[in-house]
Amino acid sequence: MTMALEVQGLTKVFRRRGKDPVVAVREIGLQVQPGEVVGLLGPNGAGKTTTIKCILGLMLATGGSVRVFGRDIARHRPEAARQMSAVLEGSRNIYWRMTAAENLGFFTLLHGVPRHEAQPYNHRLLEVFGLADRKDVSVQELSAGMRQKVAVACALATRASLVFLDEPTLGLDVETSHELRRLLRELAASEGRTIVLSSHDMAVVQDVCRRVVIMKEGRVVADDSVANLLALFRTRAYRFTLSDGCPDGLEQRLRERFTGVTMVPGRPFVVEVVLDRAEDLYAIIDVLRAAGVLIDTITQREPDLEEAFLRLMRGEGI
Amino acid sequence: MSVRLFGCVFRAMWMHRLIMARRYAFNTLSSMITIYLVFLLLFLGGRALAGPMLLGDGLEGLVVGYLVWMFALFAYSDLAWELIMQAQIGTLEKLFLSPAGFRWVTVFNELGGLVFNFGLGSLMLLAIMLTTSTFLRIDLVSVVPLLLATIAAAYGFGLMAGGLALVHKRIQAAFQILQFVFVGFIMAPGDWVVSRYLPFNLGTRLLGQVMGDGVRIWQLPAADLLVLVATGAAYLALGLLVFARMERIARNRGLLGHY
Repeated sequence: MTMALEVQGLTKVFRRRGKDPVVAVREIGLQVQPGEVVGLLGPNGAGKTTTIKCILGLMLATGGSVRVFGRDIARHRPEAARQMSAVLEGSRNIYWRMTAAENLGFFTLLHGVPRHEAQPYNHRLLEVFGLADRKDVSVQELSAGMRQKVAVACALATRASLVFLDEPTLGLDVETSHELRRLLRELAASEGRTIVLSSHDMAVVQDVCRRVVIMKEGRVVADDSVANLLALFRTRAYRFTLSDGCPDGLEQRLRERFTGVTMVPGRPFVVEVVLDRAEDLYAIIDVLRAAGVLIDTITQREPDLEEAFLRLMRGEGI
Repeated sequence: MSVRLFGCVFRAMWMHRLIMARRYAFNTLSSMITIYLVFLLLFLGGRALAGPMLLGDGLEGLVVGYLVWMFALFAYSDLAWELIMQAQIGTLEKLFLSPAGFRWVTVFNELGGLVFNFGLGSLMLLAIMLTTSTFLRIDLVSVVPLLLATIAAAYGFGLMAGGLALVHKRIQAAFQILQFVFVGFIMAPGDWVVSRYLPFNLGTRLLGQVMGDGVRIWQLPAADLLVLVATGAAYLALGLLVFARMERIARNRGLLGHY
Protein backbone atom coordinates (compact mmCIF):
# COMPACT_ATOMS: atom_id res chain seq x y z
CA MET A 1 0.00 0.00 0.00
CA THR A 2 1.24 3.49 -0.83
CA MET A 3 1.87 5.49 2.30
CA ALA A 4 0.29 8.92 2.60
CA LEU A 5 3.55 10.15 4.05
CA GLU A 6 6.98 8.57 4.18
CA VAL A 7 9.79 10.47 5.82
CA GLN A 8 13.26 8.96 5.86
CA GLY A 9 16.32 10.31 7.60
CA LEU A 10 14.94 13.85 7.68
CA THR A 11 17.55 16.18 9.12
CA LYS A 12 17.58 19.94 9.48
CA VAL A 13 20.64 21.79 10.67
CA PHE A 14 20.64 25.56 11.07
CA ARG A 15 24.13 26.89 10.47
CA ARG A 16 24.89 30.29 11.93
CA ARG A 17 27.94 32.37 11.23
CA GLY A 18 30.35 32.31 14.19
CA LYS A 19 28.10 30.04 16.25
CA ASP A 20 27.66 26.32 16.66
CA PRO A 21 25.18 24.78 14.24
CA VAL A 22 21.79 23.91 15.70
CA VAL A 23 20.45 20.47 14.81
CA ALA A 24 16.69 21.02 14.89
CA VAL A 25 15.70 17.66 13.42
CA ARG A 26 17.87 14.52 13.52
CA GLU A 27 17.30 11.71 11.06
CA ILE A 28 13.58 11.42 11.57
CA GLY A 29 11.76 8.47 10.06
CA LEU A 30 8.00 8.44 9.88
CA GLN A 31 5.34 6.57 7.94
CA VAL A 32 1.70 7.58 7.92
CA GLN A 33 -0.98 5.46 6.31
CA PRO A 34 -3.84 6.99 4.33
CA GLY A 35 -6.69 7.92 6.63
CA GLU A 36 -4.53 7.92 9.76
CA VAL A 37 -4.78 10.78 12.25
CA VAL A 38 -1.37 11.22 13.83
CA GLY A 39 -0.45 13.56 16.64
CA LEU A 40 2.97 15.12 16.82
CA LEU A 41 3.84 15.94 20.42
CA GLY A 42 6.88 17.48 21.96
CA PRO A 43 8.07 20.32 24.15
CA ASN A 44 9.13 23.68 22.71
CA GLY A 45 12.13 23.26 20.46
CA ALA A 46 11.50 19.55 19.92
CA GLY A 47 11.44 20.09 16.14
CA LYS A 48 7.72 19.55 15.43
CA THR A 49 7.14 22.67 13.37
CA THR A 50 10.49 22.33 11.61
CA THR A 51 9.59 18.77 10.65
CA ILE A 52 6.22 19.87 9.28
CA LYS A 53 7.75 22.78 7.38
CA CYS A 54 10.42 20.53 5.85
CA ILE A 55 7.73 18.07 4.75
CA LEU A 56 5.72 20.91 3.21
CA GLY A 57 8.81 22.28 1.47
CA LEU A 58 8.65 25.58 3.30
CA MET A 59 12.06 24.80 4.74
CA LEU A 60 14.88 23.09 2.92
CA ALA A 61 15.94 19.94 4.73
CA THR A 62 19.64 19.34 5.20
CA GLY A 63 19.21 15.63 4.53
CA GLY A 64 16.69 12.86 4.08
CA SER A 65 13.71 12.37 1.85
CA VAL A 66 9.96 12.98 1.98
CA ARG A 67 7.42 11.13 -0.14
CA VAL A 68 3.79 12.12 -0.26
CA PHE A 69 1.52 9.41 -1.66
CA GLY A 70 4.60 7.87 -3.25
CA ARG A 71 5.90 11.09 -4.79
CA ASP A 72 9.21 12.56 -3.76
CA ILE A 73 8.52 16.20 -2.88
CA ALA A 74 11.91 17.32 -4.13
CA ARG A 75 11.28 15.89 -7.61
CA HIS A 76 7.50 16.18 -7.93
CA ARG A 77 6.69 19.23 -5.88
CA PRO A 78 3.58 20.44 -7.77
CA GLU A 79 1.93 16.99 -7.64
CA ALA A 80 2.90 16.53 -3.99
CA ALA A 81 1.74 20.07 -3.13
CA ARG A 82 -1.69 19.29 -4.60
CA GLN A 83 -2.06 16.50 -2.00
CA MET A 84 -1.11 18.68 0.97
CA SER A 85 -2.54 21.59 2.84
CA ALA A 86 -1.79 23.09 6.21
CA VAL A 87 -2.74 25.38 9.02
CA LEU A 88 0.40 27.01 10.30
CA GLU A 89 0.51 29.42 13.21
CA GLY A 90 -3.24 29.18 13.69
CA SER A 91 -5.37 31.97 12.36
CA ARG A 92 -2.44 34.08 11.18
CA ASN A 93 -2.53 32.08 7.97
CA ILE A 94 -5.68 33.65 6.57
CA TYR A 95 -6.63 37.11 5.35
CA TRP A 96 -8.29 38.98 8.17
CA ARG A 97 -9.59 41.71 5.88
CA MET A 98 -11.46 39.15 3.80
CA THR A 99 -14.61 37.34 4.84
CA ALA A 100 -14.71 33.66 5.76
CA ALA A 101 -16.36 32.81 2.41
CA GLU A 102 -13.81 34.88 0.49
CA ASN A 103 -10.92 33.16 2.30
CA LEU A 104 -12.28 29.73 1.44
CA GLY A 105 -12.82 30.81 -2.17
CA PHE A 106 -9.31 32.24 -2.41
CA PHE A 107 -7.46 29.27 -0.94
CA THR A 108 -9.36 26.70 -3.00
CA LEU A 109 -8.58 28.61 -6.19
CA LEU A 110 -4.95 28.95 -5.12
CA HIS A 111 -4.89 25.18 -4.79
CA GLY A 112 -6.24 24.76 -8.32
CA VAL A 113 -9.86 23.91 -7.50
CA PRO A 114 -12.24 25.84 -9.79
CA ARG A 115 -14.95 27.87 -8.13
CA HIS A 116 -17.91 25.80 -9.34
CA GLU A 117 -16.31 22.63 -7.96
CA ALA A 118 -15.29 24.22 -4.67
CA GLN A 119 -18.46 26.05 -3.77
CA PRO A 120 -20.75 23.20 -2.61
CA TYR A 121 -18.05 21.80 -0.32
CA ASN A 122 -17.10 25.27 0.93
CA HIS A 123 -20.74 25.85 1.87
CA ARG A 124 -20.78 22.52 3.66
CA LEU A 125 -17.65 23.38 5.62
CA LEU A 126 -19.10 26.74 6.60
CA GLU A 127 -22.19 24.93 7.86
CA VAL A 128 -20.23 22.24 9.71
CA PHE A 129 -17.97 24.80 11.38
CA GLY A 130 -20.94 26.94 12.40
CA LEU A 131 -19.80 29.84 10.24
CA ALA A 132 -22.62 29.91 7.70
CA ASP A 133 -24.45 32.85 9.22
CA ARG A 134 -21.20 34.82 9.56
CA LYS A 135 -19.62 33.86 6.25
CA ASP A 136 -19.84 37.40 4.88
CA VAL A 137 -18.32 39.02 7.94
CA SER A 138 -14.71 40.13 7.74
CA VAL A 139 -12.47 37.65 9.62
CA GLN A 140 -11.07 40.41 11.84
CA GLU A 141 -14.55 40.90 13.26
CA LEU A 142 -14.87 37.25 14.26
CA SER A 143 -13.92 35.78 17.65
CA ALA A 144 -10.56 33.99 18.05
CA GLY A 145 -12.31 30.63 17.96
CA MET A 146 -14.17 31.45 14.77
CA ARG A 147 -10.98 32.73 13.13
CA GLN A 148 -9.30 29.46 14.00
CA LYS A 149 -12.21 27.57 12.49
CA VAL A 150 -11.90 29.61 9.29
CA ALA A 151 -8.18 28.75 9.13
CA VAL A 152 -8.88 25.03 9.57
CA ALA A 153 -11.77 25.19 7.08
CA CYS A 154 -9.46 26.86 4.53
CA ALA A 155 -6.98 23.99 4.85
CA LEU A 156 -9.73 21.39 4.49
CA ALA A 157 -11.49 23.21 1.64
CA THR A 158 -8.64 22.42 -0.75
CA ARG A 159 -9.67 18.75 -0.45
CA ALA A 160 -6.02 17.86 0.05
CA SER A 161 -5.63 14.25 1.16
CA LEU A 162 -2.88 15.07 3.67
CA VAL A 163 -3.58 17.91 6.06
CA PHE A 164 -1.12 19.34 8.56
CA LEU A 165 -2.53 21.19 11.52
CA ASP A 166 0.12 22.98 13.53
CA GLU A 167 -1.30 23.97 16.92
CA PRO A 168 -4.90 24.23 15.67
CA THR A 169 -6.33 24.94 19.12
CA LEU A 170 -3.68 27.39 20.26
CA GLY A 171 -5.17 30.27 22.23
CA LEU A 172 -8.71 28.88 22.23
CA ASP A 173 -10.88 28.68 25.30
CA VAL A 174 -11.78 25.22 26.62
CA GLU A 175 -15.24 25.15 25.07
CA THR A 176 -14.11 26.19 21.60
CA SER A 177 -11.15 23.83 21.77
CA HIS A 178 -13.54 20.95 22.55
CA GLU A 179 -15.82 21.96 19.70
CA LEU A 180 -12.94 22.14 17.22
CA ARG A 181 -11.66 18.75 18.41
CA ARG A 182 -15.10 17.23 17.87
CA LEU A 183 -15.25 18.68 14.36
CA LEU A 184 -11.80 17.38 13.51
CA ARG A 185 -12.70 13.93 14.82
CA GLU A 186 -15.89 13.84 12.82
CA LEU A 187 -14.32 15.14 9.62
CA ALA A 188 -11.39 12.73 9.90
CA ALA A 189 -13.79 9.83 10.34
CA SER A 190 -16.28 10.83 7.65
CA GLU A 191 -13.82 11.90 4.95
CA GLY A 192 -10.92 9.55 5.57
CA ARG A 193 -8.34 12.32 5.36
CA THR A 194 -4.84 11.81 6.62
CA ILE A 195 -4.17 14.36 9.33
CA VAL A 196 -0.91 15.19 11.06
CA LEU A 197 -1.67 17.35 14.06
CA SER A 198 1.01 19.02 16.11
CA SER A 199 0.13 20.39 19.51
CA HIS A 200 1.42 21.16 22.97
CA ASP A 201 -2.01 20.25 24.25
CA MET A 202 -1.98 16.56 25.15
CA ALA A 203 -5.74 16.51 25.55
CA VAL A 204 -6.17 17.57 21.93
CA VAL A 205 -3.92 14.78 20.68
CA GLN A 206 -5.49 12.22 23.01
CA ASP A 207 -8.93 13.29 21.87
CA VAL A 208 -8.38 13.52 18.12
CA CYS A 209 -5.50 11.17 17.22
CA ARG A 210 -5.18 7.43 17.26
CA ARG A 211 -1.43 7.45 16.97
CA VAL A 212 1.10 9.73 18.54
CA VAL A 213 4.67 10.52 17.62
CA ILE A 214 6.59 12.10 20.46
CA MET A 215 9.62 14.21 19.66
CA LYS A 216 12.39 15.42 21.90
CA GLU A 217 15.45 17.42 20.86
CA GLY A 218 14.82 16.76 17.18
CA ARG A 219 14.37 13.00 17.56
CA VAL A 220 11.39 10.69 17.65
CA VAL A 221 11.37 9.15 21.13
CA ALA A 222 8.08 7.29 20.83
CA ASP A 223 5.80 6.33 17.99
CA ASP A 224 2.81 4.25 18.94
CA SER A 225 -0.96 4.28 19.21
CA VAL A 226 -2.33 6.50 21.95
CA ALA A 227 -3.97 3.42 23.50
CA ASN A 228 -0.65 1.54 23.63
CA LEU A 229 1.18 4.47 25.13
CA LEU A 230 -1.42 4.81 27.84
CA ALA A 231 -1.40 1.06 28.44
CA LEU A 232 2.36 1.18 28.86
CA PHE A 233 1.88 3.20 32.02
CA ARG A 234 -1.59 2.07 33.02
CA THR A 235 -0.36 -1.29 34.37
CA ARG A 236 2.21 0.35 36.58
CA ALA A 237 0.46 3.37 38.09
CA TYR A 238 -1.12 2.67 41.48
CA ARG A 239 -2.78 4.65 44.23
CA PHE A 240 -2.82 3.40 47.82
CA THR A 241 -4.98 4.99 50.49
CA LEU A 242 -3.73 4.49 54.05
CA SER A 243 -6.37 5.01 56.70
CA ASP A 244 -3.87 5.38 59.61
CA GLY A 245 -1.64 7.95 57.97
CA CYS A 246 2.04 7.63 57.15
CA PRO A 247 4.47 6.43 59.85
CA ASP A 248 7.93 8.00 60.17
CA GLY A 249 10.49 6.66 57.73
CA LEU A 250 7.99 5.12 55.33
CA GLU A 251 8.44 7.76 52.70
CA GLN A 252 12.23 7.30 52.76
CA ARG A 253 11.92 3.49 52.54
CA LEU A 254 9.56 3.78 49.57
CA ARG A 255 11.76 6.25 47.75
CA GLU A 256 14.83 4.06 48.29
CA ARG A 257 13.18 1.13 46.53
CA PHE A 258 10.80 2.70 43.98
CA THR A 259 10.88 5.57 41.53
CA GLY A 260 7.89 7.81 40.87
CA VAL A 261 6.61 7.92 44.47
CA THR A 262 4.26 10.77 45.38
CA MET A 263 2.96 11.25 48.93
CA VAL A 264 -0.33 13.13 49.27
CA PRO A 265 -0.85 13.97 53.00
CA GLY A 266 -4.41 14.15 54.32
CA ARG A 267 -7.13 11.90 55.55
CA PRO A 268 -6.89 9.34 54.13
CA PHE A 269 -3.18 9.54 53.39
CA VAL A 270 -2.47 8.72 49.74
CA VAL A 271 0.63 7.19 48.20
CA GLU A 272 0.85 7.34 44.42
CA VAL A 273 3.48 5.26 42.75
CA VAL A 274 4.46 4.31 39.24
CA LEU A 275 6.20 0.96 39.32
CA ASP A 276 8.94 -0.06 36.94
CA ARG A 277 7.83 -3.71 36.83
CA ALA A 278 4.42 -5.27 37.42
CA GLU A 279 5.81 -7.60 40.13
CA ASP A 280 6.90 -4.55 42.15
CA LEU A 281 3.28 -4.31 43.29
CA TYR A 282 3.89 -7.19 45.71
CA ALA A 283 7.13 -5.62 46.88
CA ILE A 284 5.46 -2.31 47.72
CA ILE A 285 2.66 -4.08 49.58
CA ASP A 286 5.36 -5.88 51.61
CA VAL A 287 7.03 -2.56 52.48
CA LEU A 288 3.70 -1.04 53.57
CA ARG A 289 2.84 -4.13 55.62
CA ALA A 290 6.26 -4.15 57.26
CA ALA A 291 5.70 -0.48 58.24
CA GLY A 292 2.51 -1.55 59.98
CA VAL A 293 0.13 0.61 57.99
CA LEU A 294 -3.37 -0.42 57.11
CA ILE A 295 -4.03 -0.31 53.39
CA ASP A 296 -7.54 0.93 52.83
CA THR A 297 -7.74 0.69 49.03
CA ILE A 298 -5.47 -0.03 46.09
CA THR A 299 -6.58 1.43 42.77
CA GLN A 300 -4.92 1.38 39.43
CA ARG A 301 -4.51 5.01 38.49
CA GLU A 302 -5.58 5.91 34.93
CA PRO A 303 -2.70 7.78 33.37
CA ASP A 304 -3.45 10.33 30.67
CA LEU A 305 -1.35 11.21 27.70
CA GLU A 306 0.19 14.09 29.60
CA GLU A 307 1.65 11.74 32.17
CA ALA A 308 2.82 9.34 29.49
CA PHE A 309 4.41 12.24 27.69
CA LEU A 310 6.16 13.58 30.79
CA ARG A 311 7.51 10.15 31.66
CA LEU A 312 8.78 9.67 28.13
CA MET A 313 10.44 13.05 28.28
CA ARG A 314 12.21 11.89 31.45
CA GLY A 315 13.41 8.86 29.53
CA GLU A 316 11.19 6.37 31.34
CA GLY A 317 9.41 3.59 29.50
CA ILE A 318 11.53 3.91 26.35
CA MET B 1 1.27 21.86 -14.43
CA SER B 2 -2.07 22.43 -16.09
CA VAL B 3 -3.84 25.34 -17.73
CA ARG B 4 -6.66 24.75 -15.25
CA LEU B 5 -4.32 25.24 -12.30
CA PHE B 6 -2.81 28.40 -13.79
CA GLY B 7 -6.30 29.72 -14.56
CA CYS B 8 -7.40 29.12 -10.98
CA VAL B 9 -4.30 30.75 -9.48
CA PHE B 10 -4.66 33.80 -11.73
CA ARG B 11 -8.30 34.08 -10.75
CA ALA B 12 -7.40 33.75 -7.06
CA MET B 13 -4.81 36.50 -7.22
CA TRP B 14 -7.09 38.77 -9.26
CA MET B 15 -9.97 38.21 -6.84
CA HIS B 16 -7.68 38.92 -3.89
CA ARG B 17 -6.45 42.14 -5.49
CA LEU B 18 -9.96 43.41 -6.21
CA ILE B 19 -11.20 42.58 -2.71
CA MET B 20 -8.19 44.25 -1.10
CA ALA B 21 -8.58 47.34 -3.32
CA ARG B 22 -12.18 47.55 -2.15
CA ARG B 23 -11.34 46.97 1.53
CA TYR B 24 -8.46 49.42 1.38
CA ALA B 25 -10.27 51.86 -0.92
CA PHE B 26 -9.15 54.83 1.16
CA ASN B 27 -5.52 53.77 0.82
CA THR B 28 -5.84 53.32 -2.96
CA LEU B 29 -7.55 56.69 -3.29
CA SER B 30 -5.08 58.52 -1.06
CA SER B 31 -2.09 57.10 -2.99
CA MET B 32 -3.64 58.31 -6.23
CA ILE B 33 -4.28 61.74 -4.75
CA THR B 34 -0.69 61.89 -3.42
CA ILE B 35 0.73 60.96 -6.82
CA TYR B 36 -1.45 63.60 -8.46
CA LEU B 37 -0.47 66.24 -5.89
CA VAL B 38 3.23 65.50 -6.35
CA PHE B 39 2.78 66.01 -10.08
CA LEU B 40 0.87 69.23 -9.48
CA LEU B 41 3.70 70.46 -7.28
CA LEU B 42 6.27 69.63 -9.95
CA PHE B 43 4.16 71.20 -12.66
CA LEU B 44 3.36 74.43 -10.79
CA GLY B 45 6.89 74.68 -9.39
CA GLY B 46 8.39 74.09 -12.83
CA ARG B 47 6.11 76.69 -14.39
CA ALA B 48 6.96 79.25 -11.72
CA LEU B 49 10.69 78.68 -12.29
CA ALA B 50 10.84 78.10 -16.01
CA GLY B 51 7.87 80.23 -17.06
CA PRO B 52 6.90 79.77 -20.69
CA MET B 53 9.90 77.43 -21.19
CA LEU B 54 7.85 74.70 -19.53
CA LEU B 55 5.61 74.37 -22.50
CA GLY B 56 5.59 72.19 -25.59
CA ASP B 57 8.37 69.57 -25.55
CA GLY B 58 9.41 70.43 -21.99
CA LEU B 59 5.96 69.84 -20.62
CA GLU B 60 5.41 66.73 -22.69
CA GLY B 61 8.72 65.41 -21.39
CA LEU B 62 7.63 66.08 -17.82
CA VAL B 63 4.30 64.31 -18.32
CA VAL B 64 5.86 61.28 -20.04
CA GLY B 65 8.66 61.10 -17.45
CA TYR B 66 6.14 61.27 -14.64
CA LEU B 67 3.98 58.64 -16.32
CA VAL B 68 6.94 56.24 -16.54
CA TRP B 69 7.91 56.93 -12.92
CA MET B 70 4.32 56.32 -11.81
CA PHE B 71 4.07 52.99 -13.64
CA ALA B 72 7.54 51.97 -12.42
CA LEU B 73 6.49 52.85 -8.88
CA PHE B 74 3.28 50.84 -9.20
CA ALA B 75 5.15 47.80 -10.54
CA TYR B 76 8.00 47.96 -8.04
CA SER B 77 6.02 48.73 -4.93
CA ASP B 78 3.33 46.24 -5.86
CA LEU B 79 5.82 43.42 -5.79
CA ALA B 80 8.01 44.50 -2.89
CA TRP B 81 5.27 45.73 -0.55
CA GLU B 82 3.05 42.77 -1.33
CA LEU B 83 5.78 40.38 -0.19
CA ILE B 84 6.39 42.37 2.99
CA MET B 85 2.68 42.59 3.71
CA GLN B 86 2.14 38.85 3.17
CA ALA B 87 5.08 38.07 5.46
CA GLN B 88 3.70 40.46 8.09
CA ILE B 89 0.21 39.03 8.14
CA GLY B 90 1.48 35.45 7.99
CA THR B 91 0.02 34.34 4.66
CA LEU B 92 3.28 34.12 2.71
CA GLU B 93 3.79 30.46 3.60
CA LYS B 94 0.31 29.62 2.36
CA LEU B 95 1.16 31.15 -1.01
CA PHE B 96 4.25 28.93 -1.13
CA LEU B 97 2.01 25.90 -0.64
CA SER B 98 0.17 26.46 -3.92
CA PRO B 99 0.82 23.59 -6.35
CA ALA B 100 1.63 26.26 -8.95
CA GLY B 101 4.69 27.26 -6.90
CA PHE B 102 5.37 30.63 -5.36
CA ARG B 103 7.06 32.13 -8.42
CA TRP B 104 4.02 31.53 -10.59
CA VAL B 105 1.76 32.85 -7.85
CA THR B 106 3.86 36.02 -7.88
CA VAL B 107 3.77 36.22 -11.69
CA PHE B 108 -0.03 35.91 -11.73
CA ASN B 109 -0.35 38.42 -8.94
CA GLU B 110 1.74 40.87 -10.93
CA LEU B 111 -0.23 40.21 -14.12
CA GLY B 112 -3.38 41.10 -12.22
CA GLY B 113 -1.57 44.11 -10.83
CA LEU B 114 -0.55 45.19 -14.30
CA VAL B 115 -4.15 45.23 -15.53
CA PHE B 116 -5.24 47.03 -12.37
CA ASN B 117 -2.40 49.55 -12.55
CA PHE B 118 -3.04 50.26 -16.22
CA GLY B 119 -6.54 51.25 -15.22
CA LEU B 120 -5.37 53.50 -12.37
CA GLY B 121 -2.49 54.90 -14.45
CA SER B 122 -4.80 55.77 -17.33
CA LEU B 123 -7.10 57.69 -15.00
CA MET B 124 -4.10 59.51 -13.57
CA LEU B 125 -2.78 60.32 -17.05
CA LEU B 126 -6.15 61.73 -17.99
CA ALA B 127 -6.16 63.93 -14.86
CA ILE B 128 -2.61 65.12 -15.60
CA MET B 129 -3.40 65.87 -19.24
CA LEU B 130 -6.50 67.83 -18.22
CA THR B 131 -4.51 69.77 -15.62
CA THR B 132 -1.68 70.67 -18.00
CA SER B 133 -3.82 70.97 -21.14
CA THR B 134 -1.18 68.80 -22.78
CA PHE B 135 -2.88 66.05 -24.70
CA LEU B 136 -0.47 63.29 -25.59
CA ARG B 137 -1.06 60.84 -28.42
CA ILE B 138 -2.19 57.55 -26.93
CA ASP B 139 -1.39 55.12 -29.70
CA LEU B 140 -1.95 51.92 -27.71
CA VAL B 141 -0.18 49.70 -30.26
CA SER B 142 3.00 51.71 -29.77
CA VAL B 143 2.62 52.87 -26.16
CA VAL B 144 1.73 49.59 -24.43
CA PRO B 145 4.70 47.50 -25.66
CA LEU B 146 7.11 50.37 -25.04
CA LEU B 147 5.73 50.96 -21.55
CA LEU B 148 5.94 47.25 -20.75
CA ALA B 149 9.54 47.02 -21.94
CA THR B 150 10.36 50.15 -19.94
CA ILE B 151 8.83 49.07 -16.66
CA ALA B 152 10.20 45.51 -16.92
CA ALA B 153 13.19 46.88 -15.03
CA ALA B 154 10.87 48.00 -12.21
CA TYR B 155 9.66 44.42 -11.84
CA GLY B 156 13.31 43.38 -11.68
CA PHE B 157 13.93 45.85 -8.85
CA GLY B 158 10.72 44.77 -7.17
CA LEU B 159 11.87 41.15 -7.24
CA MET B 160 15.27 42.10 -5.84
CA ALA B 161 13.72 44.18 -3.07
CA GLY B 162 11.12 41.51 -2.33
CA GLY B 163 13.79 38.81 -2.21
CA LEU B 164 15.89 40.89 0.17
CA ALA B 165 12.80 41.45 2.33
CA LEU B 166 12.29 37.67 2.60
CA VAL B 167 15.68 37.36 4.27
CA HIS B 168 16.33 40.71 5.92
CA LYS B 169 12.70 41.63 6.69
CA ARG B 170 12.73 45.28 7.66
CA ILE B 171 14.30 47.09 4.73
CA GLN B 172 11.54 49.59 4.02
CA ALA B 173 13.95 52.53 4.27
CA ALA B 174 15.99 51.20 1.34
CA PHE B 175 12.76 50.54 -0.58
CA GLN B 176 11.67 54.13 -0.25
CA ILE B 177 15.06 55.54 -1.23
CA LEU B 178 15.04 53.41 -4.38
CA GLN B 179 11.82 55.10 -5.50
CA PHE B 180 13.71 58.37 -5.70
CA VAL B 181 16.69 56.73 -7.41
CA PHE B 182 14.19 55.87 -10.18
CA VAL B 183 13.76 59.61 -10.78
CA GLY B 184 17.52 59.87 -11.32
CA PHE B 185 17.44 57.02 -13.83
CA ILE B 186 14.62 58.65 -15.77
CA MET B 187 16.17 62.10 -15.75
CA ALA B 188 19.78 61.14 -16.57
CA PRO B 189 20.85 63.19 -19.61
CA GLY B 190 20.33 61.36 -22.90
CA ASP B 191 23.74 62.34 -24.22
CA TRP B 192 25.55 60.26 -21.60
CA VAL B 193 26.67 56.97 -23.12
CA VAL B 194 25.51 54.94 -20.14
CA SER B 195 22.09 56.56 -19.91
CA ARG B 196 20.48 54.30 -22.50
CA TYR B 197 21.45 51.28 -20.42
CA LEU B 198 19.98 52.70 -17.23
CA PRO B 199 16.53 51.50 -16.22
CA PHE B 200 13.64 53.54 -17.65
CA ASN B 201 15.86 56.12 -19.36
CA LEU B 202 15.77 55.06 -23.00
CA GLY B 203 12.15 53.92 -22.67
CA THR B 204 11.10 57.36 -21.40
CA ARG B 205 12.74 59.04 -24.38
CA LEU B 206 11.18 56.62 -26.88
CA LEU B 207 7.78 57.04 -25.23
CA GLY B 208 8.29 60.80 -25.48
CA GLN B 209 8.72 60.46 -29.24
CA VAL B 210 5.64 58.24 -29.54
CA MET B 211 3.34 60.20 -27.24
CA GLY B 212 4.68 63.66 -28.04
CA ASP B 213 5.66 63.56 -31.70
CA GLY B 214 3.27 60.85 -32.87
CA VAL B 215 6.01 58.47 -34.03
CA ARG B 216 4.79 54.88 -34.41
CA ILE B 217 6.75 52.09 -32.76
CA TRP B 218 7.99 50.64 -36.04
CA GLN B 219 9.34 54.05 -37.04
CA LEU B 220 11.70 54.08 -34.03
CA PRO B 221 15.33 53.03 -34.57
CA ALA B 222 15.57 49.23 -34.35
CA ALA B 223 18.81 49.48 -32.35
CA ASP B 224 17.05 51.60 -29.71
CA LEU B 225 14.20 49.12 -29.46
CA LEU B 226 16.66 46.26 -29.17
CA VAL B 227 18.58 48.00 -26.37
CA LEU B 228 15.32 48.83 -24.61
CA VAL B 229 14.09 45.22 -24.68
CA ALA B 230 17.52 43.81 -23.82
CA THR B 231 18.08 46.11 -20.83
CA GLY B 232 14.51 45.53 -19.58
CA ALA B 233 15.00 41.77 -19.88
CA ALA B 234 18.43 41.98 -18.21
CA TYR B 235 17.11 43.88 -15.15
CA LEU B 236 14.16 41.50 -14.93
CA ALA B 237 16.44 38.46 -15.19
CA LEU B 238 18.73 39.93 -12.52
CA GLY B 239 15.69 40.45 -10.30
CA LEU B 240 14.58 36.85 -10.83
CA LEU B 241 18.08 35.57 -10.04
CA VAL B 242 18.34 37.59 -6.83
CA PHE B 243 14.81 36.59 -5.83
CA ALA B 244 15.47 32.88 -6.44
CA ARG B 245 18.68 33.09 -4.41
CA MET B 246 17.02 34.95 -1.55
CA GLU B 247 14.04 32.60 -1.57
CA ARG B 248 16.42 29.66 -1.22
CA ILE B 249 18.26 31.35 1.66
CA ALA B 250 14.94 32.15 3.36
CA ARG B 251 13.75 28.54 2.97
CA ASN B 252 17.08 27.23 4.17
CA ARG B 253 17.04 29.43 7.26
CA GLY B 254 13.33 28.90 7.82
CA LEU B 255 12.50 32.57 7.50
CA LEU B 256 9.39 32.47 5.32
CA GLY B 257 6.99 32.54 8.23
CA HIS B 258 8.91 35.14 10.21
CA TYR B 259 8.68 38.86 10.20
